[in-house]
Amino acid sequence: MADEKLVPTVCPYCALGCGFYIKLEEGGTGIEYMLDHPTNEGALCPKGNAALEILSHPDRLRFPLLRTEGGWKRISWDEALERLAEEIKKTIKVHGPGALGFLGSAKCTNEENYLFQKMARLLGSKNVDCCARRCHSPTIPALNRAFGAACMTNPISDLENSGCIFVIGSNFAENHPLVARWALRAKDRGAKIVVADPRLTPTTWLADLHLQINLGTDVALLNGMMNVIIEEGLYDRKFVGERTVGFEELEEKVRGFTPKRAADITGVSTGAIVRAARIYARSPASAIIYSMGITQHSHGTNNVSACADLALICGHLGRSGAGLYPLRGQNNVQGACDMGVLADFYPGSVSVNDAEGIRRIEEAWGATSLPIGMGMTAETMPVAAGDGNLRFLYVVGEDIVNSDSASSRGRKELANLDFMAVQEIFMTETAEMADLVLPAAAWAEKEGSYTSSERRVQWSPKAIEPPGEARSDLSTIVRLANLLGLPFDYAGPEEVLAEIGKMVKSYAGITRERAEGRGGVIWPCPFLDHPGTPILHRDEFCAPQGRARIVPVDYLPPDEERSLDYPLLLTTGRIGLHYNAGSMTRRSISLMKRAPELFVEVNPQDADRWGIVDGDLVEVKTRRGEVWARGRVTTRQEAGVIFMPFHFPQTNTITSDVIDPEARIPEFKVAACRIGKMKGV
Amino acid sequence: MEIYADSDRCILCHACVVACERVHGEARISVEAVRDRACVPVACHQCDAAPCAIVCPSGALAQEASTVAFDAEKCTRCGLCIIACPLGAVDLDTVSMIQRCDLCPDREVPVCVLTCPTEALILGDRFEETKEMRRRAALRIAQSHAVGRERA
Repeated sequence: MADEKLVPTVCPYCALGCGFYIKLEEGGTGIEYMLDHPTNEGALCPKGNAALEILSHPDRLRFPLLRTEGGWKRISWDEALERLAEEIKKTIKVHGPGALGFLGSAKCTNEENYLFQKMARLLGSKNVDCCARRCHSPTIPALNRAFGAACMTNPISDLENSGCIFVIGSNFAENHPLVARWALRAKDRGAKIVVADPRLTPTTWLADLHLQINLGTDVALLNGMMNVIIEEGLYDRKFVGERTVGFEELEEKVRGFTPKRAADITGVSTGAIVRAARIYARSPASAIIYSMGITQHSHGTNNVSACADLALICGHLGRSGAGLYPLRGQNNVQGACDMGVLADFYPGSVSVNDAEGIRRIEEAWGATSLPIGMGMTAETMPVAAGDGNLRFLYVVGEDIVNSDSASSRGRKELANLDFMAVQEIFMTETAEMADLVLPAAAWAEKEGSYTSSERRVQWSPKAIEPPGEARSDLSTIVRLANLLGLPFDYAGPEEVLAEIGKMVKSYAGITRERAEGRGGVIWPCPFLDHPGTPILHRDEFCAPQGRARIVPVDYLPPDEERSLDYPLLLTTGRIGLHYNAGSMTRRSISLMKRAPELFVEVNPQDADRWGIVDGDLVEVKTRRGEVWARGRVTTRQEAGVIFMPFHFPQTNTITSDVIDPEARIPEFKVAACRIGKMKGV
Repeated sequence: MEIYADSDRCILCHACVVACERVHGEARISVEAVRDRACVPVACHQCDAAPCAIVCPSGALAQEASTVAFDAEKCTRCGLCIIACPLGAVDLDTVSMIQRCDLCPDREVPVCVLTCPTEALILGDRFEETKEMRRRAALRIAQSHAVGRERA
């Protein structure tokens, strides 16, 4: 075993930040479990176990490629970067910097994301965004308004100390399996698990109480629960009085949401709503876990506000076992948001409308006129490309063609760009549309820090060399910035992290050395000797007078409803063996052989009605178009609802593109549809 | 020592299967779901009087103290062990080897147990582990009586 070396790494899949070792030995790489990691204690989900399969995959991009009339042409890095710089300069000269779009990546490191948005903004473009727009963009305005901080309040492992875990719109057993470890530990100690989900999932198997609510009726359920809690006097008067504002308005608002009314809207019994409310309110410390089932709605911001309100009136915040857990999706989506790869925020959550904050950033960056005001979001960039307002797009590590809603429209719009550059590890459907493709190093082939869902900043060292001429995104961004005349002079990512510490207060005490320690540091970490802050809001909120704001919200139905032409509702989600748009997991043999194709789950009643038998090819049609998928007849959904995972490109071509007015997230979770057996197969 | 599965903790994630396959080339543990309501991982029980060893005509599978040893050179690929195992935990791969859980002899704890996100898989002595499982079951039943295991 002497020729064996273990390099610690952070899992590249979901946002839990699980640690493991990459074992380097003669003849290849392997995985070794990291038993002392605070989040996963060595355990890994199937995707973590399969993570190394993508590194050596034959599809990896190895050389810069330029689109020519005769197809892709391999070019040198110098040619590629000069061409890219020239296109950027040309666009600025002809159309101004407002015609440039930059999509950063929640899969890249903090350092890469920080430099990416810095480059974009120094060039004068406001149009910087990332895929957080499609997962937790409602969390940002809603929790900023409520608590003054848009992030998970307690660490995952602290769930162990909860007396009640209320799960709404999250199937963590499939999508964040390590959360189930801590939820079950709580259950071992007597905790109750309450799950509100329209579907029966492995998460609901763990539940003591499952509320199988109608799609998109979360606010009605939450308001109904708050009605019970207030009527029965179960709310925390002291907490509400001392630490919040806005309770009276909420009391007024939820008065009309009797359990009866909530039951009529949600489709669950009044008894179940009352019971859920009592369990949550009475437990000594209750946690709320939510995810895309809450956010991906045309009223996603309202949904998040209602979750925050429930936690606030019961005082289940600021201590161990309590808290609000927005489970993030990508390994570094929290970090990308902290770094300001968002159309509405500069680094450190400085609003793009905060002239004074931006002036301080100008001083720090030695810049004179940084752009002020909201930029184009990930959703509006394709639209602007279609309208001709966006002429150039630089996409790093995102497969927007597959992950955008109603994606066939987006495909047409992106084709209208003058120039699109894509930096990727694989030739994704988005890269296929680009004019220039730059090969990137994957996570284990470069170094830098990642911030997990629980705000844990961990350094991930380089374990192996990238394939061919692939390079770290950091070195590509620095070289490009230099060609554009920007004085980016960094010896390595640790120097970038040091600059981040000066710009983002909560990262001020985080250095490479500290992030390298087992489990890294949980921000806020405002100075070097600070131990980090696992539990937020202990004494006060980061809001005016330290008080949280309770924001009452109304129930709004989903945008699309069942009709004669579209009698069913389609909802989408993830499965345990795949990940997001699938560009990684669909290239992973051990995962693909267990989940090889797109399927659609149909309730037996609906299957009977439309003549579908388990295993049939089923056509699913919405107002955006139609796709086919393998039919699975199952009672996981109630009649009238069908489910498709979005890991295969077809699904998002038919999802709804109606967006939340504030967070601008599309309503991926509800689309009216019809089904039929595929003809001729 | 053997691997126990607590079906109340299993979430059908397949981590054990993928990990076992990564280490052994073929997965020697499987996880089966029943009617989308529950699932259970199935692996070799390391039986005390192992049917696979009892029926093996060539002595390739032989009962040892607490496990069944396998000698590839003696194996004739007759497949009687596959028929005999009540759990379907023995298989033949495409080359020549009997595929049966060997508890990862190079490690203190088998990879399926290490990787299990929910601690549904447990390596242990059967008397100790069943005691722990009884304790958990009792706790659950007591709680159910206290609050009522009700569903909407």
